[in-house]
Amino acid sequence: MIEVKAVEKKFGRKKILKGVSFTANKGEITCLIGINGVGKTTILNAIMALTPINKGQILIDGKRLDKTTFEKITFIPDVITMLPQMTIAEAMEFMNDFYTCWNQERATELLEFFRLNLSDRIASLSKGNTAKVNLLLGLALDVDYVLMDEPFSGIDMFSREEIANVFTSHLIENRGVIITTHEVGDIEHLIDKVVLLDDGIVTKEFSAEEARENEGKSVIDVMREVYKR
Amino acid sequence: MNVNFNNRDPVYLQIVRYFKEKIAIGELEPGEEIPSRRELANRMKINPNTAQRAYKEMEEQGLIYTERNHPSKITTDTKTLGKVREELIIEAVDMFVTSIRSINVPVEELLDLVRVKYTANDDKEA
Amino acid sequence: MKNYLKLVNFEFNRIAILFSALLGITFVAQIVGVIVQSRSYLSMANEKIYDEMMSKAQFLEIFGQMSFLQIARSVWFMGPIAFCIAGVGFYIFLIWYRDWIGKNTFIYRLLMLPTTRLNIFYSKITNILIMTFGLVAFQLIIIPIEMLVMKVMVPNEFRRDMGVNEIVSSMPELGIIIPTSIVELILYYGAGMLVVSILFTAILMERSYRWKGIFAGLIYSAVAAVVLISPVFLHEFVLNGFFYPIELLILEIVMGLIVLALSVWLSGFLLKNKITV
Repeated sequence: MIEVKAVEKKFGRKKILKGVSFTANKGEITCLIGINGVGKTTILNAIMALTPINKGQILIDGKRLDKTTFEKITFIPDVITMLPQMTIAEAMEFMNDFYTCWNQERATELLEFFRLNLSDRIASLSKGNTAKVNLLLGLALDVDYVLMDEPFSGIDMFSREEIANVFTSHLIENRGVIITTHEVGDIEHLIDKVVLLDDGIVTKEFSAEEARENEGKSVIDVMREVYKR
Repeated sequence: MNVNFNNRDPVYLQIVRYFKEKIAIGELEPGEEIPSRRELANRMKINPNTAQRAYKEMEEQGLIYTERNHPSKITTDTKTLGKVREELIIEAVDMFVTSIRSINVPVEELLDLVRVKYTANDDKEA
Repeated sequence: MKNYLKLVNFEFNRIAILFSALLGITFVAQIVGVIVQSRSYLSMANEKIYDEMMSKAQFLEIFGQMSFLQIARSVWFMGPIAFCIAGVGFYIFLIWYRDWIGKNTFIYRLLMLPTTRLNIFYSKITNILIMTFGLVAFQLIIIPIEMLVMKVMVPNEFRRDMGVNEIVSSMPELGIIIPTSIVELILYYGAGMLVVSILFTAILMERSYRWKGIFAGLIYSAVAAVVLISPVFLHEFVLNGFFYPIELLILEIVMGLIVLALSVWLSGFLLKNKITV
């Protein structure tokens, strides 16, 4: 379980996160929803210790992050994490070199799944294919938790469908996933849990199926209710 | 296998319903193997947890059964299967009745109209 | 340790192009320098001897033989060296900033490697060292080649041959780059690495705190400089030459080690707790 507890974060004088708390379970897809600039990316960065927090605590399976945690959790940001001049093959080799949890078999499977070419240079890829390379590099790690920052934004429709297919496959099964989005639309029935962020706090944390079952409300219905206030 | 999910009903129940419909019209036969949870999730574009939950629900309702280390199968229990058909018909009729009641049509007139429409539709399809 | 070596290798591959460019520029410029200097000496000799009817002996008496020092003191020789020093100096900053700036976001990957983040620091500083030693070693290799070119161009009687040692000892500015003893080598390059570690710490401060970090970095650099010169300062101005030279040297080394340890510790702390992508 990933526990984010009362996390506060300031950029200069501006408080972006004012005490954010939520949990994300293994085996579930948790979706952080909020408008752009609400601090979704900052939360993911903070979980990965890529940016310091001013207050609060983040635990992964009850422990604070250290270097060994990176064999257990991975982050797929919406920027490339490899050198632009590298080919996909070189990027995969780099991952294989440094991570003991790199799963070459799965990497090959993903390569075919996304129809990517080993010899293509990362710098020459379209936005959709760059996102796919990022996903490949993250999902080919045998980790318990995967964080994804806006995996669907700014990507063509077909790539988006392909990426959505990842979420319904064994590539995600049994892992804990946190994804961020500012537009829940096409992934509504893919997610287990929703965390709504607004103005630096979590305004609501709920199970998508339970909202439908108990209140007959879609995720968007709940959002409308929460943001209207 | 293609379902347009609505966003207000639990996805797992929509899947259960989908299976019931297929059973009712005989597209899924008693004892027929159904896809694994993973396969279903993949084909229906839902998350594997939801597929798991739908199968659990169907098992509880006795619609499917799983023997150890085998794929799940549609039940062969005729009583349960009969109930599925009945349930779907009643549900649909209930819905129809609720919406038509507000117009206050005499039942005889209504039945005639239903007969005409229903068979006309059949002809068109044939 | 394995991850450190992998990172060193990886970082080296990234500088390979810049590194070979520096080597190439140095080689070409210095060889051109040898040719230009030799030619101008020879044409001067020709002019004096054939046009102005000066005897060979007279010419040599007035103008002297040509030695490699004339080449080594020219801009053709020292220019590329200065350029390489500037290149390495520039790279001290680039080696960090190229992982952040613009579309380059490789820092995400570096910080998420399952290894201590201090290895990033160590691998980068090691590469600065490798680059520096590489350039010096290359210089030492090409000096004999350059001498050979001079030998071919300038006739025996106009030429005074010198060894590399002799050249270095008669040019103190070269002596810093090419130390003549092991102790000097350790001291000069130790001091160099110390400066790099201070700069790295200042860069990491900037990367952690941005604008405020620039000031923190400047202050840290200033404090480190004060700590480093304090023994000499005390010795000269307060204690009136209290220490023996060897004591002063040891004191300086101790100060250097303290500053180095502090820089490494601070960098480790910043990378672990304060860095931001």
